[in-house]
Amino acid sequence: MGPLFPQEIISGNWNLFLAFIMGILFGFILEQAGFSSSRKLVGVFYGYDTVVLKVFLTAAVTAMLGLLYFSLFGWIDLSLVYVNPTYLWPTIVGGIIMGVGFIMGGYCPGTSLCASAIGKIDAMFFFGGIFIGIFFFAEGYPLVKHFYMSGFMGAPKAYELLGISGGVFALLVIIAAALMFWGGEWAEKKFPREEY
Amino acid sequence: MIEEIITSGRMNPEIDPLLHIWGWEISLYLYIGGLVAGILFFSALLVLLNKEDKFTFSVKMLPLSAPVLLGIGLLALFLDLSHKLYFWRLYTIIRLNSPMSWGAWTLMAIFPLSVLWCCIWLKDNFTTFKWPYTWLDALFETGKKYRKLIAWMLVGLSLILGMYTGILLSAFNARPFWNTSILGPLFLVSGLSTGAAAIILFSKNRQERRLFSKVDMALIGVELFFIIHLFMGFLAGVRVHIQAAELFLGGPYTAPFWIFVVSLGLILPALLEFLELKQFKIPHVIPAVMVLFGGLLLRIIVVSAGQASRWLY
Amino acid sequence: MRLKHMNPYLAGVLLGLTLLLTFFISGRGLGASGAVKKVLVAAVATAAPEHAAESAFYSKYSGVDKHPLRAWLVFEMLGVAIGGFLSGAIAGRLKFRNEHSPKITSKRRAVLAGIGGILFGFGSQLGRGCTSGSALTGMAVLSLQGFIAMMSIFGTAFIMAYFFRKNWI
Repeated sequence: MGPLFPQEIISGNWNLFLAFIMGILFGFILEQAGFSSSRKLVGVFYGYDTVVLKVFLTAAVTAMLGLLYFSLFGWIDLSLVYVNPTYLWPTIVGGIIMGVGFIMGGYCPGTSLCASAIGKIDAMFFFGGIFIGIFFFAEGYPLVKHFYMSGFMGAPKAYELLGISGGVFALLVIIAAALMFWGGEWAEKKFPREEY
Repeated sequence: MIEEIITSGRMNPEIDPLLHIWGWEISLYLYIGGLVAGILFFSALLVLLNKEDKFTFSVKMLPLSAPVLLGIGLLALFLDLSHKLYFWRLYTIIRLNSPMSWGAWTLMAIFPLSVLWCCIWLKDNFTTFKWPYTWLDALFETGKKYRKLIAWMLVGLSLILGMYTGILLSAFNARPFWNTSILGPLFLVSGLSTGAAAIILFSKNRQERRLFSKVDMALIGVELFFIIHLFMGFLAGVRVHIQAAELFLGGPYTAPFWIFVVSLGLILPALLEFLELKQFKIPHVIPAVMVLFGGLLLRIIVVSAGQASRWLY
Repeated sequence: MRLKHMNPYLAGVLLGLTLLLTFFISGRGLGASGAVKKVLVAAVATAAPEHAAESAFYSKYSGVDKHPLRAWLVFEMLGVAIGGFLSGAIAGRLKFRNEHSPKITSKRRAVLAGIGGILFGFGSQLGRGCTSGSALTGMAVLSLQGFIAMMSIFGTAFIMAYFFRKNWI
């Protein structure tokens, strides 16, 4: 049955409209969860507020399990779902740069737009910065192109690398997430939280 | 000499397969026509309801913009004309079966009437204002005495004006997407809704804004009803009409229409107005601007889609 | 009236279901930085068409047949702004303010946010996606790249947190 668009059950134009609807849900939930506050977001790195950890991992686990079950019941053809290709080195270095940007700016791109929408001025600066950052990358693309293409491994699933089945791997992810939730709850009790 | 026999209007240049005649000028003109109709309609209606001292902004102040807006709209229309020097010929005849003739004569009547309407209220709006000649003062005082009569005429003419902005398109039977009688009422309601939004946007009176928020919500409801009917009518129609509807139901106009016109121009502002009435803190500017933009986009998209829809052959 | 935030686990489940629905409908996950890229490409292609056509980067994303703004992510991000605004309106959080720790000035916060945005923008291009498109979506499809991105982003931020602590706590 699914995914609908790749099998042309809905047209590309409906797909664009549904992107808008999905975006509304995405933005609404992000804001409801408190992702429109930079001090709440970075709280995870200081332990006083671990909402990012909880929401992020719960969402990833929910969607992961959902996809596995949907696939099991034959509701979705996973071979038609886009799997991000792995370019090892640029992903690691890009992640490091993003990590520094995260702790300095306090947002990530999606949350900064969401926070801008409710009037956070720092988020607007961050969102403007993303344009400049991408512009730098675009203009410097010839210089980094070689590195950008390095470490290509196809589009492997994480469990293939470890040589275990997807189900076992999902179980491990859930256990790891549960441990992290426990750690998060512990940290929130330990580190004081001020009103912001 | 090469002989050319024109057997159909479609053989003219820029007609088939897509019409490439009407650009932004016509959309803007239709939009402003609807907006002015809305502004004048509410102003006149409130006078008829004896509310002129309660809602002073919508009755007396906002109509001052009507002649200016009409001027801009007519300028846009004029820019669109190919034979600019012959526009006056529209006024040499009255053809009851031509919407263009109807529109031209309605505009001819509503423009001076809106100027008169502004003049009547000038002294109320600006207390220090004085007419330079006593006869002018006397003239507009007399006009004020007969304001109910003028208001009746304005209500009628503004309804015709708002309706005509849609009929102008729907009378054009060569384009299936326009050729539906619901376009007239749809554009009228949309025009009234943008007029209400203009009041919400600029009025400083909270009570007035609340009243027009409610009016706007009701109008948006009617508009959505018309839009649904528009597509139901098409889908229940002949093959060309179904194809015209499919431009919006999976075709290239799907995303712009359902996102920018229906979601951002109708449903979301209605929701925000509702929340505001329920005492949520929302800047009243936002839904008003959304309705005004949605109205303009509705015209642009309908004008563009109509030219893209065509008969089979 | 100011409402509290949603329970984080509930929000996580709802976000996960939204992501799942996105996979089911569109066969792809949510994203964010890609939309900014498309808008930028469209802007450059309008302002300096020759430059955009020559550049190896811009020419990948623009062309005669496809307009860069007519993209899935652009519409999705438009929705994100609307959804965030709606939620803020309902929760009573609509307010212009520059949120920062009382220990730093507003200006410092704005500058840091801007630099953070620049780094994030640059990094998201190098890493082929940001926290939403690469880490969250990647993890949900169990892609190796998703887990690497997630560990790399959050690990770095965690290590660097010590050096930036004065800006936040």
